[in-house]
Amino acid sequence: MSNNIVIFGGDSHPELVAKICENLDIKPSQVELGKFSNGETSISVRSSVREKDVYVIQSGCGHVNDTFMQLMILISACKSASASRVTAVLPYFCYSRQPDIPYTAKGAPLVSKPRGSNTSTPVNNKSASTVPISNLPNSNQINNVGLQSTNTVKRPGEDFPFKSLDSAIRSTIHMESPTPVREPKLVKTGSMSRIPMIPGGKVSTKVNNDAEELFNAQNSGYKLWVVQAGTLIANLLTTAGADHVITMDLHDRQFCGFFDIPVDNLYCKPMSQNYIQHYIPDYGDAVIVSPDAGGAKRATAIADSLELSVAIIHKERRSQLLKGPPDATLTSGVPLSSKPLISHHNNQPVIKRSNSNSSISSTGSNSKFIQTTMLVGDVRNKVCILIDDLIDTSYTITRAAQLLKDQGATKVYALATHGVFSGDALDRIKLSPIDKIIVSNTIPQDRTIKKLGKSRVGIIDVSLVFAEAIRRIHNGESISMLFEYGF
Amino acid sequence: MPENLGLTKVTKQTELMSGKDSSEMTSNSIKLLAGNSHPELAELISKRLGIPLCKVGVYQYSNKETSVTIGESIRDEDVYIIQTGIGQEEINDFLMELLILIHACKTASARRITAVIPNFPYARQDRKDKSRAPITAKLVANLLETAGCDNVITMDLHASQIQGFFHIPVDNLYAEPSFLNYMKLKVDLDNAILVSPDAGGAKRVASLADKMDLNFALIHKERQKANEVSRMVLVGDVTGKTCLLIDDMADTCGTLVKACDTLLEHGAKEVLAIVTHGIFSGDAREKLSNSRLTKIVCSNTVPVELDLPVVDQVDISPTLAEAIRRLHNGESVSYLFNYAPPV
Repeated sequence: MSNNIVIFGGDSHPELVAKICENLDIKPSQVELGKFSNGETSISVRSSVREKDVYVIQSGCGHVNDTFMQLMILISACKSASASRVTAVLPYFCYSRQPDIPYTAKGAPLVSKPRGSNTSTPVNNKSASTVPISNLPNSNQINNVGLQSTNTVKRPGEDFPFKSLDSAIRSTIHMESPTPVREPKLVKTGSMSRIPMIPGGKVSTKVNNDAEELFNAQNSGYKLWVVQAGTLIANLLTTAGADHVITMDLHDRQFCGFFDIPVDNLYCKPMSQNYIQHYIPDYGDAVIVSPDAGGAKRATAIADSLELSVAIIHKERRSQLLKGPPDATLTSGVPLSSKPLISHHNNQPVIKRSNSNSSISSTGSNSKFIQTTMLVGDVRNKVCILIDDLIDTSYTITRAAQLLKDQGATKVYALATHGVFSGDALDRIKLSPIDKIIVSNTIPQDRTIKKLGKSRVGIIDVSLVFAEAIRRIHNGESISMLFEYGF
Repeated sequence: MPENLGLTKVTKQTELMSGKDSSEMTSNSIKLLAGNSHPELAELISKRLGIPLCKVGVYQYSNKETSVTIGESIRDEDVYIIQTGIGQEEINDFLMELLILIHACKTASARRITAVIPNFPYARQDRKDKSRAPITAKLVANLLETAGCDNVITMDLHASQIQGFFHIPVDNLYAEPSFLNYMKLKVDLDNAILVSPDAGGAKRVASLADKMDLNFALIHKERQKANEVSRMVLVGDVTGKTCLLIDDMADTCGTLVKACDTLLEHGAKEVLAIVTHGIFSGDAREKLSNSRLTKIVCSNTVPVELDLPVVDQVDISPTLAEAIRRLHNGESVSYLFNYAPPV
């Protein structure tokens, strides 16, 4: 390794830092991490970073905001000490999982809805009130608009979704106009008339007001507004001075798009596959299970490369107020069932509704939600491997495991890239029918092993992939082969 | 003639528009949001302004990530977010809360977002005092701007140069007028002398002494490590006087207690300490309860948990509230630099 590379580790995961450095055959550089007595994070960088290629490794775990601030301060310290490039290595990217959107009484997220209606209604209104400005045809009649100029009129007119004005113009087109300069001005008024539209839009968004009234009546404002911190976190890292980000299995792939700097999202999939092949006995008869519909793609990808069958657990939060017999929810599950059909197994997907799993969730304060879970695919007398990208509160995974056992699965493995295990997640897993939990070491797992015992926990080492990615990025080589083969 | 006709139509249209626009303008009002760092202060400011606090939920997930929920519409409103920098464990949490709140307001189309940060976090890490030391105050300033902050109101910045770290307006208010009112009421000012516990604060203390028509003394301290003071030299005569130690913050209180001892050794009658930010971290409690300070007066820029009889608090919420009101109405804030609004 050239001596131009400097690696700093935050205090979130020193073991991983040591392992990555070991794989790179270099020593992590000296940095003192601590806190002042008033709680402020203190950092002092002990070795020179001038014109060096700096990598700062910090996993987004533990006391997240502390570790994140530490990362940012460390990055900015390196940057202001003239490092040539600073790469933030976040094996687990904090805040990458955006909080769940609360649901309305109608069972749909309201957050985007009023906004959507807001934007759509003014458009409709626009057409309504811009029509009166069709003094345009009047003036045209007097002005005698030319055929040539009509084309210039039409182009901005296309933005407006109404045909009447457009056709009105067209009808008067046959007249002649003195100046084409006049025309764009008239068009301008058309677009400016958007402004008087706003109050009109307000009136028409009665749905919104109704919703607000509804929530006010419930003493909750329109509180369904959960902030999506993704963009902010990305921007903060960039502001701190990061030039490059390396991470693994981002919950949202779109997250990369929040950054204006290159993001290398590594995949744990090759290592996961490797683990299944080597450590799960008789994996050839196993079924890969996705604990929710969102992870179906992830599960099918692994199943496809291992040539295993897939099952999907579909979770739904529906309002009790929603009309329709249980069959109605079943039909809504039908389009999902087409997914296992795509996978090359002939067994007809069986849709099972476990009514035992229906429970009234206590989280919804304003209305009662019913939680229904259904399993798509056959797991009877099979070994099941639950695949997810991260296990946090472990509610999803333990519930899924219970469902699988109820449906006759012989063994349940749970495999995830990031084991956050917040709160009393580990207690829940301990009591759950999960036979073995397999997570990578993007987050320290000492507590997990301590709590569940060594035999129930499998650890996938990702330090090699990170080391190789760092080596390749430092040397300016392509890292795309890491996506395919891992290490 | 036909062109004229077109023109009149246009002007009518704009008249209509401007009319609507101005009515929109007036609907713009102050929205007060508060983080979890100092709910009491937020409550006081809200009471003073007669504006209830916005319904905001600032939570922490079990995985320790911060989550913010905005409970009412702040579209096109003038938003003020009150969050101070405090907390041995939570200072970074509070900072992230503030950043996420600002970001939330930005995405919720607030017209202007002002961060009210009575005690600016990381203010003491404002310079590169050794090789590769982070200038975290600058980082915090950048983070606030990145999050979408349009304005900052703060109080007694450790170094007023921090204002230069921002590219947005910073209103650095002073607790001094409020303390002045306190001193006039509670301290015998005829026999008093102002003392600056370090050379850095000499300028501020000197100007205050001028204003109060008092003498001032200075303590020079030789610091070897952060939060540790080795030796103190007093410049000035304090014999038989009531000494008022003036500083911007009291953290571990090592400086203050040592300064107090130095002053008493030099024949001072009694020593009072007046500090804006009473952070009182580490073993401050112990030091203060064993100290010979008559009183330590601090403001409520940060919540003070010490229930020692020696600690007195001055409410600075009127100043902050007035600054918010003035900022909202586009009035000058400089009046507040010299006068505290009546409590």
